[in-house]
Amino acid sequence: MIRYTIKRLIQGVITVWFIATATFMAMHSVPGDPLMNDKAISEEIRKNLEAQYGLDKPIIEQYGIYLWNMVRGDFGISFAQENRRVNDIIREHFPISAILGILAIAFAGLGGILFGALTARYRNQMPDIVIMFLVILGISVPSFVFAALGQLALVKLNAFFGISILPVAGWGTLSHMIAPSLVLGLGTMAFLTRLMRSSMLEIVSSDYVRTARSKGLPPTRIFLRHELRNAILPVVTVLGPSIAAITTGGFVVELVFAIPGLGRYFVQAVQQLDYTVIMGTTVFYGAFLVFMVIVVDLLYGLIDPRVRLE
Amino acid sequence: MNTLTDQVAPTLLEVRDLEVEFDTYGGTVHAVRGVSFDVHAGKTLAIVGESGCGKSVTVQSIMGLIPSPPGRIVAGTAKLRGREIVDGETIDGDIVRGSEIGMIFQDPMTSLNPTMTIGDQIAETLQVHRGFSHGQALARAAELLEMTRINEPRRRARQYPFEFSGGMLQRSMIAMAIACGPSILIADEPTTALDVTIQSQILDLLRDLQQQNNMAIILITHDLGVVARMADEVAVMYAGEFLETGTADDIFYNSAHPYTVGLKAAMPTNRDESEQDLMPIDGSPPDLFAPPPGCAYFARCPHAMEACQNDPPPAFPVGSGHATRCWLHHADCPRRTEALHYAAPIEGGDT
Repeated sequence: MIRYTIKRLIQGVITVWFIATATFMAMHSVPGDPLMNDKAISEEIRKNLEAQYGLDKPIIEQYGIYLWNMVRGDFGISFAQENRRVNDIIREHFPISAILGILAIAFAGLGGILFGALTARYRNQMPDIVIMFLVILGISVPSFVFAALGQLALVKLNAFFGISILPVAGWGTLSHMIAPSLVLGLGTMAFLTRLMRSSMLEIVSSDYVRTARSKGLPPTRIFLRHELRNAILPVVTVLGPSIAAITTGGFVVELVFAIPGLGRYFVQAVQQLDYTVIMGTTVFYGAFLVFMVIVVDLLYGLIDPRVRLE
Repeated sequence: MNTLTDQVAPTLLEVRDLEVEFDTYGGTVHAVRGVSFDVHAGKTLAIVGESGCGKSVTVQSIMGLIPSPPGRIVAGTAKLRGREIVDGETIDGDIVRGSEIGMIFQDPMTSLNPTMTIGDQIAETLQVHRGFSHGQALARAAELLEMTRINEPRRRARQYPFEFSGGMLQRSMIAMAIACGPSILIADEPTTALDVTIQSQILDLLRDLQQQNNMAIILITHDLGVVARMADEVAVMYAGEFLETGTADDIFYNSAHPYTVGLKAAMPTNRDESEQDLMPIDGSPPDLFAPPPGCAYFARCPHAMEACQNDPPPAFPVGSGHATRCWLHHADCPRRTEALHYAAPIEGGDT
């Protein structure tokens, strides 16, 4: 188990290095640089700035410096925002994105498992038909559409009742978190519902569930101990990649709901070719996702003993 | 086994005129069409027949394991010690299942929950039916594993199914099925998925446990060798019906139905003879979407008569406790003598 964890962590570090390299190369092959903003600067100032930021050095050397700073945990200073260290940007804004993401994942996971089990239980009956229709909507409609529709619905709802039931946008209290995390988790929840449904249908007719019934166990015990635990295995498997999907989806939802998360800075930085911020946020997100996937895989071992010992 | 022991062994389970159907997209499958049998304490009843003849459905309907829909029990009764357990659609329950009747299945590899320890899976039955605490039940589970001849039962009880071999899994299944001391054990092709050495060990184990606990066994199999070794009574099943019922000796040495004779002839032997060719039964079983109006075996029977086509034969008694559904045994059948002669042991047909 420990060996496995170490192995996975080493693999993770290599993955992050890959992400860093790819980001660096992509960034530098895009035309333009962070100094080419709207303000025209003289050749002399430009030279000075380039020297200050190290942009006049050969690409390979720059790459080396970036990598070395990254290893020390220093992502540098933003080009576009005055006097802001990338580390500070991440420290201030990532927790907000993380809370949003965790809520969305929790919502997607619980909802997916619940609705999946429900649709399997009532296969081809009314609850199944209704939920599966909604699932197709959830999978095919992008989250920014849901975000806009959700906001509109909230506005109407608040106006109808005359009081603010849930805030339409912004961040701060728990009630601010509900609407955006629901919107953010919706697509993943729909996907997980489908997965859970098919997995559940397979398990329900499996030999060991038949054995459980032949033992005369009460239905709730069969459901909890024999069906549910085995049926959520595929759901747990895709939970890692789902975190990635939710994080990237978060950029847009943060924008629509005016949430001061990290996603907004990431999008801005790409537009302004703010090298250090792009580099910092991408590598940070990459490392975060790789870490989450490892955590999910280790969790998987807790549920499935066959994985644990391998 | 004779009439005398029949009277000594009390009847545990009486099944009468059981009919089971399945609704499918292609129509209604008449899987079991009026089956009756008795199960006696301490005795083994073997139900033999080829794949798809309704053997498993018969016992699963008694256990209430028929998924409904699409399955349904159309008619019939099953009384366990006089108490009705097939109530219209399903067994009267969880009280009987696992507690009074235990069941083991064909494929032990897939019949155990992969994410639960063997010990927990055995203990579960005791917790539910006998009110054992988890600790008590686990201790008992280890004892049961020991009874089914698994080494280091305490350590093994903490392991998961994937850490067991096929034979050990089937032993664990048996331990689970007998945990509550059931009076009947249903074994649905218990050795089909195992190799012959293991098969033999499992059969020995079943027989020993049967003798220790005076337990009745309903053994589902398509292997006549297993039948000869284990069975006291045999029911030969074909297309959802019992074509012949009797003691194991009756079935093997006084076969009364042409199908039984055909099955015996189709058995491979160990004899070193030039005519080692298997004697298959030509044709295939009838379509159970629309079962034939007369004898189910009519289309394949070498002795088929006019009457067989449209009139279903009733069960004719051939001897004490030996009956067959075949018109050849009707008192007015012109070929009756021929049939009786034919029912005598045939050359090379014994086991």
